[in-house]
Amino acid sequence: MSNDLKDILSNSNKDIDNQQLMDYLSNQLSKADSHAMEKDMVDDEFMNDAVEGLQKMEHPKDMQAFVEQLNNDLHKQIAKNKNRKEKRSLKEQPYTYVTIIIILILVVISFIVLKKHLDAKNAQPPANSKVTAISNLQ
Amino acid sequence: MNTDKYKHIEDHQLLQHFYADKNNEWLGILLQRYTLLLLGVCMKYLKNEEEAKDGVQQVFLKAITELHKYKVDYFKSWLYMIAKNHCLMKLRDKGKHPVEINEQHFLTPDETEATIKHLEKDATLTNMEKALQLLNEEQLQCIQLFYLEKKSYQDIAGQTGYPLLKVKSHIQNGKRNLKIMLERLQHNEQ
Repeated sequence: MSNDLKDILSNSNKDIDNQQLMDYLSNQLSKADSHAMEKDMVDDEFMNDAVEGLQKMEHPKDMQAFVEQLNNDLHKQIAKNKNRKEKRSLKEQPYTYVTIIIILILVVISFIVLKKHLDAKNAQPPANSKVTAISNLQ
Repeated sequence: MNTDKYKHIEDHQLLQHFYADKNNEWLGILLQRYTLLLLGVCMKYLKNEEEAKDGVQQVFLKAITELHKYKVDYFKSWLYMIAKNHCLMKLRDKGKHPVEINEQHFLTPDETEATIKHLEKDATLTNMEKALQLLNEEQLQCIQLFYLEKKSYQDIAGQTGYPLLKVKSHIQNGKRNLKIMLERLQHNEQ
């Protein structure tokens, strides 16, 4: 009896178990479990309001489907925001990308200039071949 | 993201992960634990399944936005306040329902828990018995049947003839009144 009296003031703050809540709503819990659930509800305004609301649903069978749909939409929304954030971060750092492009262009230009210079050098006849040519003429 | 593997992680730990890397996926795991409860709260106030679903989605968005702005310690109570305020604002916009403001809006979970702990610590059984006698008849009857005889709401409704919602409110109000009376009795003793 004294423990039961103390029990009135205890404040259970257990985490909700969705399956148990669904079972409670469809009267599938044992008497003891239903009572435990109701004791949690007295202390937990969130759960109390939720149970009152869920009991008002016209199609209780659709409850699980509604929850799944809402969860899917939530994850889709989060994934969409993540992609948008990544794209935005590309837009927010244009200087990095401009610098990379300029460096690449400079590398390509340097390569072309060096190649032309080397080709021009190779095209000139070597100096000793000139001497041979002159001696042949003589 | 497979959320089952995060079952063992407590709400506050998920929040810590989120605050550490600002990855909304942590919030997704956390929020979906409350989808059913949020649907119920929105349904209670908005009384329409489609509006309730929209309401839950808006509460999700609001929660994600707000959690980026400031740190939340008591996630469950905070989320409930967000949902309830959202529904009350919706009703006010529709002109259906005056915005209900009670002391709960001004109490932080911190204060509520501190008060309850204080009461639990100091309450004596003698005072409890005295306080019980000060409750009105309906509340006393429902409190005794619920806590002492461990009857369910349905059984109490059947036994007393009160409607189910009345039984719930007698138990809730009775418990609240008991706390107030105990506090007064202890204050008088000091």
